[in-house]
Amino acid sequence: MRDYLIKRGVSALVTLALAIILTFFLFRIMPGDPTRTVVGDFRVTPEVRQMLIHQFGLDQPIWVQFVLYIQNLLTGNLGVSFQYRGTPVTSIIFGRRLFNTFILMGSSIGVALVIGIIVGTVAAWKRESKFDILTVIFSLVTYSMPVFWLGMLIILVFGYYLNSIPIAGTITVGMTYSNVFEYAADYLHHMTGPFVTLTLSFIGFYFLIMRDSILDVFTEDYMLTAKAKGLSDRKILFRHAMRNATLPMVSLMAVEVTYLFGGATMTETVFSWYGIGRLIYEAVVMADFPVLQGIFVIMSVLVISANFCADIAYAFLDPRIRY
Amino acid sequence: MTIQETPASQIKEDRFWLYRRKLGDFWRLFRRSSLGKLGLALVLSFVMLALAAPWIAPFDPFTFVGDPFLKPSSTYIFGTDQVGRDIFSRVIYGTRISLLVGLVASAMTVCLGTLVGLVAGYLGGRIDNLLMRITDLFIIIPALPLMLIMAAILGKGVQNIIIVIAVIGWTATARMVRSQTMSLKERPFTEASRAIGSTDLHTISRHIVPNVFPLVFANGMIAIVDAILSEAGLSFLGFGDPSRPSWGMVLYFANTAGATVNGYWWYIVPPGICIMLLVMGFAFVSYSTDQILNPRLRRR
Repeated sequence: MRDYLIKRGVSALVTLALAIILTFFLFRIMPGDPTRTVVGDFRVTPEVRQMLIHQFGLDQPIWVQFVLYIQNLLTGNLGVSFQYRGTPVTSIIFGRRLFNTFILMGSSIGVALVIGIIVGTVAAWKRESKFDILTVIFSLVTYSMPVFWLGMLIILVFGYYLNSIPIAGTITVGMTYSNVFEYAADYLHHMTGPFVTLTLSFIGFYFLIMRDSILDVFTEDYMLTAKAKGLSDRKILFRHAMRNATLPMVSLMAVEVTYLFGGATMTETVFSWYGIGRLIYEAVVMADFPVLQGIFVIMSVLVISANFCADIAYAFLDPRIRY
Repeated sequence: MTIQETPASQIKEDRFWLYRRKLGDFWRLFRRSSLGKLGLALVLSFVMLALAAPWIAPFDPFTFVGDPFLKPSSTYIFGTDQVGRDIFSRVIYGTRISLLVGLVASAMTVCLGTLVGLVAGYLGGRIDNLLMRITDLFIIIPALPLMLIMAAILGKGVQNIIIVIAVIGWTATARMVRSQTMSLKERPFTEASRAIGSTDLHTISRHIVPNVFPLVFANGMIAIVDAILSEAGLSFLGFGDPSRPSWGMVLYFANTAGATVNGYWWYIVPPGICIMLLVMGFAFVSYSTDQILNPRLRRR
């Protein structure tokens, strides 16, 4: 187990180092003046620019820049934003936006996962029944829809025709709240649209993986043993099949976090949700490269840690991995 | 004793018939799957739509043919957009770009992945290690943000969208080809090929590539699905080329025109349905192909 942990840990660190190196070069292969992407923007005042050129060593050779970049990274200095006129990148990312994104993504992933696992198990059990076919078609349809289009449809139907959800933002602009519950209610009301969109777009994937995984488990010998022992269907299904089939989901989930970020970016953009995804889009449109670089580094750290945690969890859940 | 030599032309002909038979087997199995047939029908109808666009579309997709924001009518089937272009014609012509980007980008994705997989699997050692580290990196880092950053760096345009999709999407193919190559390398026939002094290039191109091809093909179908969806997303966010509008770009214009908040369903629904049906078509084909080519799925 210890060897396994060390091996995984080293591999995670190597990947992280590669990601950081990639980020460094990605933002320096831009055509034209290489310093432009770091400080060279008219929205940054000359004083701040001088300070940054010094901090990041932009008048020095590239390897010195790289060393300084790593040093700054370790001390949490990710540079300053162009579009917000010199606000540090870290204070833009860590704050309300990160919180909003976590709430939105966390809740929709959680709900989609639970529904996907349960419905996937039942569908696999009743293979080729009407329920199975309908749920497979449903998940193929939602899987084939572009996320942003699903969001647009939801705005059109529930925002325009039924007028039951707000069409943009995280809270009502200019509204004053008498207590925290009122605020929470307004927040959740705004979250309905993006939450439904993201949940629907995630369910299909989890469902199909779970169904596939259960069908695989059904071919295992221990399923026959369980049946031969005279266990009830319910016990076989939920005790033996579902437990074993959930295992691959754990490792897949971590890998798919990267894919989920994509869906979140789209959804946040469509619903003007004040989060990291929307920030990525804004930063791209406004050519705010320091912010993009910062988000990218932080996301890489998050995803790589998530994968590392999943690997460990997997090893704990499945003894076969450890040896 | 003289050794009877088989003339080269005979070998070529034998090989041709072998491939013919394999393809025939595949086709027979494929035709049995109704999902596969449905998928193929969907894909082919979009291909036909793309080819026949000039004859089907009633108007030129770039000229202003009416007042802005006209409702659907017999002249303008899906109404007109914010500058008075016919949405129906734009959707029809959009098929060409969406299909083209999907096919070209996925072809590049698969070629890149196959190349990396072959090199890593065949050479092994340090090179394999390095290539697999890079593959892990590309699997793990968030794809869409990276795509957006690359698109921002490269600039707008259809070619750049294709490049971005190919650079991000090759990892799955690479991993699969690598593991397949590693197992094929140990088989007697590749060993024999090396023993009689064939070059590595010959062994790879004659003995390994033909054997990984079915799996590469199945992977290619999935890659098309991903490429079409990625293209739609990037175009929707405004990275497409306005002179070559895809379905995603039509939706981008719909969004900037406030189609959702004004209730112009005829501007939003048709392009999205097209994306969905085309993606479903390829997904069904890929599903059926996988059922035939993937031995793990056959035993169930």
